[in-house]
Amino acid sequence: MKPLVIEKVNQVFGTGTARVHVLHDVSFETEPGTVSLIMGPSGSGKSTLLSIAGGLLTPTSGMVSVAGEPYSDRTKKQRDKLRLDYIGFVLQAYHLLPYLTVQDQFTLVDKVKSTGNLSADELAEVLESLGISDLVHKYPPELSGGQQQRVAIARALYPNPAVILADEPTAALDGPRVQVVADLFKSLAVEHGKSVVIVTHDSRLTDVADVIYEMKDGYLTQKE
Amino acid sequence: MFLALKEIKKEKIRSGMIIAMIALIGYLIFILTSLALGLARQNTDAVNSWGIDNITLNDSANVDLRQSIITQKQVGNLTADQALLGQAPVVVKAKDHANTSAAFVGLKPDQFIAKNLKVSSGHQATRVGEVVADDSFKTKGYELGDTVTFNDFSRKFKIVGFTQGAKLNIAPVLYGRLSTWRQLKGNMPGAYASAIVSKDAGYRTKANGLKTYSKATFINKLPGYSAQNLTFGLMIFFLMLISLIVIAVFLYILTMQKLPNYAVLRAQGIPSKMLVGATISQSVLLAAAGLILATALTVVTAFAMPASVPVAFDVPILASAGVGLLVMALLGSLIPIRSVLKVDPVSVIGG
Repeated sequence: MKPLVIEKVNQVFGTGTARVHVLHDVSFETEPGTVSLIMGPSGSGKSTLLSIAGGLLTPTSGMVSVAGEPYSDRTKKQRDKLRLDYIGFVLQAYHLLPYLTVQDQFTLVDKVKSTGNLSADELAEVLESLGISDLVHKYPPELSGGQQQRVAIARALYPNPAVILADEPTAALDGPRVQVVADLFKSLAVEHGKSVVIVTHDSRLTDVADVIYEMKDGYLTQKE
Repeated sequence: MFLALKEIKKEKIRSGMIIAMIALIGYLIFILTSLALGLARQNTDAVNSWGIDNITLNDSANVDLRQSIITQKQVGNLTADQALLGQAPVVVKAKDHANTSAAFVGLKPDQFIAKNLKVSSGHQATRVGEVVADDSFKTKGYELGDTVTFNDFSRKFKIVGFTQGAKLNIAPVLYGRLSTWRQLKGNMPGAYASAIVSKDAGYRTKANGLKTYSKATFINKLPGYSAQNLTFGLMIFFLMLISLIVIAVFLYILTMQKLPNYAVLRAQGIPSKMLVGATISQSVLLAAAGLILATALTVVTAFAMPASVPVAFDVPILASAGVGLLVMALLGSLIPIRSVLKVDPVSVIGG
């Protein structure tokens, strides 16, 4: 079963003269343990595609399924549940709740999803691999930007999703840190078997990608 | 609840400020409610202690007991459910005591009001020169056996008993004989009593020139009573409104600051229900904490308040005011909840 399948997705915003066709028959699918890179300039439709892949937007036409579960005909509540179960978002802005400790960020997930999350040992392993195991009692304002990003990644991993969707994860990082984050996503795919989709215009991430797609004017093509 | 508790715990100063504000507003509401209740009771305690359903007055007295004069002919035949009374404002004078404005209420000893009069100390007035005084005279230093005079009236009266809650239109009451009331009225020709009171709800006078009013109508027409209650009611209403605005503004600001965080949580699949629940819980927790503090302050005040201040701390009524404040807190969370429900997780995609 493919972790994420997107078939002939079209997205149109507005009507009449304000009508904008953002995505044109976009199709792609991911495999477990791989990193897919979707590259393209600003305004090409990358973020819209990511929103549709994560079930945040309903496409005008086409089909999206995650772990074999189609999104399109689901209610908002059901899509929330699918996201919680199968999708982990790593966003450019981490927006960790400032009044929750790192540990509480995971407890919050437990409050809405009591089964299928990482066990205490698995979480400890993830935190160790991210180098933040000694920060569990800290609050986000006490952490550096890099540490906050790693906490956000751990938070995305905690519900044990099949798919990780990352939105411009290196936009605010300098050179050496870009490599650290690139290696981190690669290890999520290789060591944890996740299907990682990274939307970016940062060409420095191409080294870790198994598949590279290019988005241009709403058309998605796979690069050889 | 989880998010609300965590936020309150982490943001102690911010939460403490809103709790303090709610506590002060709650305290003011409790004190004003008690004061309103105390004053209302001082207007009506005596009337309520009589156990009557209606009162018959001269129809040109404007429902004012003090202005009403009834003749013997108008009274007619009364049953055991009816009683006569006469009210006259008096200035009580006694040696070594300051003059006190009071209400003299004359009763017939064989009728139900006099018979049912409960004394907290001493005994009922059995002779013409005896009076039973409101307990407030005791707190002013009067004792059983003390002699008092009224205005320039030469006759002396002996206090033979004290009774609790005998206040009429704020003035303390002295119960005596109806015949004394007639003397206080200067033996006005035809003046037999001020009113006929009845504990029979169906009683209606048939006499010309008289009109029967329900107890509620009579109380509402007590001079200043309705205006006073309306004033206190408005003050309490505006305090409730202020508390609603304070809670709404505070929660709105807090929620606005959290919307990007909430958008990320929504993107992760955290349901809106949890975020709405956090907002409601936060509002209720802050209001409840404020109310607990306000209650503590009110209890301290109740013990420290001098007996002369007309306050009545009635737990069920104060509890209702507390519930009212909690309702305001819930209403105050509605506007922030609307913002939470409108959070669009797509807004955090694409930077």
